[in-house]
Amino acid sequence: MGQLEGMVTRYFLVLILALLVTMLSIFSLSLVQTDELQTIKTQEGKKLIISEKIHDLDGNPIPLESLTEGKVLLNVWASWCITCLVEHPFLKSITESKDVKLIGINYKDQNFNAMKYLDKNGDPYEFSIFDLSGDISLKLGVTGAPETFLVIDGEIVSHRIGEVNLEVWNEKFAPYF
Amino acid sequence: MKNLLHIFKILFIFALPIAAENLYENLNANQLKRLDYLSENIRCPKCSYGNINSSNAPISKDLKQEIAKLIEEGYTNDEIFNLMEERYGNYVILKTDINENTTLFLIPLMVLLISILLVTTYTIKRSK
Repeated sequence: MGQLEGMVTRYFLVLILALLVTMLSIFSLSLVQTDELQTIKTQEGKKLIISEKIHDLDGNPIPLESLTEGKVLLNVWASWCITCLVEHPFLKSITESKDVKLIGINYKDQNFNAMKYLDKNGDPYEFSIFDLSGDISLKLGVTGAPETFLVIDGEIVSHRIGEVNLEVWNEKFAPYF
Repeated sequence: MKNLLHIFKILFIFALPIAAENLYENLNANQLKRLDYLSENIRCPKCSYGNINSSNAPISKDLKQEIAKLIEEGYTNDEIFNLMEERYGNYVILKTDINENTTLFLIPLMVLLISILLVTTYTIKRSK
């Protein structure tokens, strides 16, 4: 009788061990399969969708074609955004040294503050879209400022959430210029 | 009379937060409940953790406003979850789908069951 019970216990121990091994292999396999840490999805590969009417900082209407035709670099910025101020000199140097059509999206900012910011720090933008409510940006998938999109013929080819510096530029945007 | 006016002013200041609470006035009680459930289960895209409800990031407020609008337009919960997942990726959905993660849910259950069996057989064996 005791021998049988010992066998049953051994059987369960083997089962537990087998289960542990399968668990371990499942988890390690899924570790191998995931090539990237999961974070916020970038908007790469999507179409640039803007359904609202857009205006620049002076209130002039902007035709949508100016964003969807050719190669356009869209940069989300605001005068209250500190990282934007950090990347500002780099954006200026890029527009000076390369043939880049840089268009700004002024995100949740007061018109007056935005103008003052550009006066003080220089204006690398061809023009800036005024987005006080943040609605246009929200539909674009913008999570905050700064963010930079590379749009080629209306399709978002590259999307950077955060600051653009030389390293990021070389990795994400330089191959297209 | 002047004192009365002061008291009235103070009362008015205390009344302000009550007025501010009713932000989503177009939604009925049931819809507000849904808004709360959705905002509780969608992560703020700007933060490393925290849902839309708990976050003060501007985008969270915008998203809550957008979800309120979607509810008003008649979107179902699943449709709103899908829309958010489509835009920001699976990362923002805090509600775990059991059907997609069956092994994850089943393995602890199996371990529990087997250990209960093991402990019972062991104690039965010991008591004899």
